[in-house]
Amino acid sequence: MLYEKQLGLAADGSPRHSTALLAEVERAAAACGGWDQVAQIAVGRGPGSFVGIRIGLATARGLAASTGLPVTGVCTLDALGRAITEKATSSAVPSPRNEEQGHSGSLAVLDARRGEVFAALYSPSGERPWEPFVASPEALVERLSALPRPRLTAGSGAVRFRHELAGRDVEIPDDDDPIHLVAARHVCALAEADVGGAGVALEPIYLRPPDAQRWRERDDSKRSN
Amino acid sequence: MSANEQERSTRAELILAIETSCDDTCAAVLEGPRILSNVISSQAAAHAQFGGVVPEVASRHHLELAAPVVEAALVEAKTTLDRIEAVAVTVGPGLIGALLVGVSTAKAIAAPRRLPLIPVDHLQGHVAANFLEPEALEPPFLCLIASGGHTLLAGVREHGGYELLGQTLDDAAGEAFDKVARMLGLGYPGGPALEKLARDGDPDAFEMPVAMRHDPGLDFSFSGLKTALVYLCRDLGREQVTGRRADLAASFQAAAVGQLVAKLERALKAGEWEAVALGGGVAANGPLRAAVAALCERRDVQLKLAPLALCTDNAAMIGSAARFVEPLPYPDYLAYDAFATPKRAAA
Ligand SMILES: [Zn+2]
Repeated sequence: MLYEKQLGLAADGSPRHSTALLAEVERAAAACGGWDQVAQIAVGRGPGSFVGIRIGLATARGLAASTGLPVTGVCTLDALGRAITEKATSSAVPSPRNEEQGHSGSLAVLDARRGEVFAALYSPSGERPWEPFVASPEALVERLSALPRPRLTAGSGAVRFRHELAGRDVEIPDDDDPIHLVAARHVCALAEADVGGAGVALEPIYLRPPDAQRWRERDDSKRSN
Repeated sequence: MSANEQERSTRAELILAIETSCDDTCAAVLEGPRILSNVISSQAAAHAQFGGVVPEVASRHHLELAAPVVEAALVEAKTTLDRIEAVAVTVGPGLIGALLVGVSTAKAIAAPRRLPLIPVDHLQGHVAANFLEPEALEPPFLCLIASGGHTLLAGVREHGGYELLGQTLDDAAGEAFDKVARMLGLGYPGGPALEKLARDGDPDAFEMPVAMRHDPGLDFSFSGLKTALVYLCRDLGREQVTGRRADLAASFQAAAVGQLVAKLERALKAGEWEAVALGGGVAANGPLRAAVAALCERRDVQLKLAPLALCTDNAAMIGSAARFVEPLPYPDYLAYDAFATPKRAAA
């Protein structure tokens, strides 16, 4: 890896996508020896904050238009899931890994705000038995109770709802473990594995409709009742 | 045009401009004051079901449309990014989520090519629509901008800026048209439908508040007019409202247009202006055009009516304004951010 940087929130608590992302991308390209040396652009397409997803995708599409490079979109939960599976299968963390019982995989949980989580489940072989979904922590726990095996769980949502998820056969690393942060290198790894494949989709993964649409549908259903 | 402005305006000849401040995704290519392409992808249909512009819906559409619209603008201009010398983009004011899509796109197109980025104020763009060929209007002139998002009077004495002479204190004029149209059961966007309905109505049928017409300043207010309509409809009852929709539309339109023209006339008297320009979607309103034309004839001033596609939001006007803005060289703009509310109002 030639360059990696992970920026948190600004001093005032606001995200820095609009002000910091492109400068970091340019530094990463420079670390490669310039855009001429870059072969592919990878981008996380959510789920996450709506604004954050759009700044990432608009930037990636703009860069692709400017450079002529191919761009591959990666589900953000997949990138996190890959990191968790790596950790689960590494010798450093033996507990959730139990080949005999067949460790039931990695659970990626992102904080979706509004008291909800975005989540997806990955098998050790990389399959995705649970497609990405948005739910309350309670609903996630409900789904978990149907699964027999312990599993390694990480992400901002796992940290935020540690209490709610506790005792459900999930193991959540310490809050300050870097595993909880989605890393661009995992987005790259997934995109690279997907070269020429079907995963070049660049649509955002919002998982939630705009509020106005939810209100309208609610009003419509009231009216039809 | 001063020597200084002349020099500045010839710095970048071929400009790619992007505009995403509200509900239209726009890209244009300009060669100096000449439009090579001006692509507008309207989202009106997507917002019609909500009866107005929904910011999150607009932002989602901008993301889907931005890259294809830029591509279409380049193709239509028969050029490629290799020939573009600067990228201009609306940085505000507007819907922040919508602006961020355009700004992120513009910055990302400019950066790998080391092109300069030209940040443009949306309202300055409406003013600069008048600098475009053919029949460019040169300062000084008075510009009335009225749309669903803004209503203001700009005193234009140079290419690079304007003096804010007056603005709406509450609703924008177009917003009031849309809200009243909805009250009368017309679809969105309501302006054109309301105008059509008003043709069959009597503008004097109902008395409307004219408070701002007697206000000595140059500011506008449309919420009182809208509220008056709400009460009127309530007092009339549903049946009467349906029966007299055309009269209600005509009375409202006459009052709204009357206020716009009254303020324009007051500004004309105060400033010794010799030319008037109209901008914004409300500039499409027939009675407004006619009233402004009559006013200009009466006062013997020149009237510039830009083609409607240049009055409503578009990227050609952003490229036009960009010709008179200091470009930001790479990498100075990498951290450049969009802003939602007018900077001059905040200052
Ligand atoms: Zn506008």
